[in-house]
Amino acid sequence: MRFIELLSTYGDMYVEAAFATWWMTAVSFIGAMILGLMVTVMRVCPIKPLRVVGDFYVQVFRNIPGISMLILVAYALPYLGLVLDWVPCVLVSAILICSAFASENFMSGINTVGVGQIEAARSLGLTFTQMMRLVIIPQALRSVVPPMTNLLIATMLTTAIASQVPVTPPELTGVVSYINTRMPYGVLAFIVPAATYLCTSLLIGYVGNKIDQRVRILR
Amino acid sequence: MTEQIPAVEFRHVDKHFGKLHVLRDINLSIMPGEVVVVIGPSGSGKSTLCRTVNRLETIDSGEIYIHGELLPEEGKALAAMRSKVGMVFQSFNLFAHKTVLDNVTMGPTQVLGVKKKEAEEQAMALLARVGVADQAKKVPAQLSGGQQQRVAIARSLAMRPEVMLFDEPTSALDPEMINEVLDVIVELAREGMTMMVVTHEMGFARRVADRVLFMADGVILEEATPDEFFSNPKTDRAREFLDSIAGH
Ligand SMILES: Nc1ncnc2c1ncn2[C@@H]1O[C@H](COP(=O)(O)OP(=O)(O)OP(=O)(O)O)[C@@H](O)[C@H]1O
Ligand SMILES: [Mg+2]
Repeated sequence: MRFIELLSTYGDMYVEAAFATWWMTAVSFIGAMILGLMVTVMRVCPIKPLRVVGDFYVQVFRNIPGISMLILVAYALPYLGLVLDWVPCVLVSAILICSAFASENFMSGINTVGVGQIEAARSLGLTFTQMMRLVIIPQALRSVVPPMTNLLIATMLTTAIASQVPVTPPELTGVVSYINTRMPYGVLAFIVPAATYLCTSLLIGYVGNKIDQRVRILR
Repeated sequence: MTEQIPAVEFRHVDKHFGKLHVLRDINLSIMPGEVVVVIGPSGSGKSTLCRTVNRLETIDSGEIYIHGELLPEEGKALAAMRSKVGMVFQSFNLFAHKTVLDNVTMGPTQVLGVKKKEAEEQAMALLARVGVADQAKKVPAQLSGGQQQRVAIARSLAMRPEVMLFDEPTSALDPEMINEVLDVIVELAREGMTMMVVTHEMGFARRVADRVLFMADGVILEEATPDEFFSNPKTDRAREFLDSIAGH
């Protein structure tokens, strides 16, 4: 059984790879949520230039393939005097791209709040910041759980760009090439990563669903 | 005798939506304690008039004064002025993610700096006054329309406003809930609250108004006491309007 042999030789590497994917996903997603929220606040604020910059940001980073982003970050940033290690390059790329999608999700969340509640908040004398903090963002956050669940899965898949640069230990996609350059297992080497991606996605979907049911706003 | 300062004063106010001239040279004073009811056909500019008072709509020219102070254009000064003007909307607009109690305490705690406990006591008293104290822990979606609107009134009252604006507060309600809301407004009027009320409820207008304004095409066509207006409208437009309503 070549598959058993594969597992006994590279089992530990698979485990390490899974953890590498998971922690890069977690960091990228948290970064994307924070940056995405900031960009979204810019996009709805009363100051026009900030809105323009926010919209521009989203249009740019929503339309760059992950791998191109990585190349840009890895090879262009040094010209600006910023040299990052490979792993931070991957994280920065994933955060930039996923934050654009996060912002789109937040925008649709904000749109569920409705102009009526915004006018009510303004009528009470709340400032823009108070209105965002107390009325809009809490509702937007609670209504974006399903799309953010999808984004978390997409973020995990985006971290596969790390397979194109030398990171140690390799993550789930990188480990496949790592193994195949040493032993010709071919597609067999991809079974464990594929199953891991799938199980993680299912788990994310399940938990996301539970969270959504709990925080969803009655309307 | 000292001259009283109007609670709300419009001076030569004009407003367009694109080419549409929705407010034409509006001049109007609402004195403290006065209840002004605005009626008129759909699209005549009643909502717009109401909404300019706390600058939910901007104006093109003219001035609006609240207690003799020019309505600020933006920023903290505007927010501070808005906190003194209560607004009740047709569609209630309660904060969907907050309980009824939190809806009422948000303004006082966040804008006026009232302590949470004190704000909650005041809120419970207000909710009792509008008859929904037993709903305090629910979220808006669990309430009937009439209950939601009464909560919205309590939320405005919690700011201790100097003026209250009502834009068709019962138009979104089922008929059997209209009176529970109107009764609250009548009670407020009796207590001396300064109010501007847009409504299609003529019986209520008669009961609550010190003065009736009839608007058509962005102009205040008539201004009279309810008795004068309803028994003897001066313009054809007003007569037609009253007939069309009586026809229902
Ligand atoms: N935001 C807007 N943009 C463009 N036109 C508007 C806007 N709001 C209102 N209007 C128009 O301005 C006119 C006056 O509207 P307004 O809502 O003040 O009328 P109203 O007297 O309150 O009518 P109703 O009885 O139907 O509520 C209408 O013709 C309306 O279509
Ligand atoms: Mg209206």
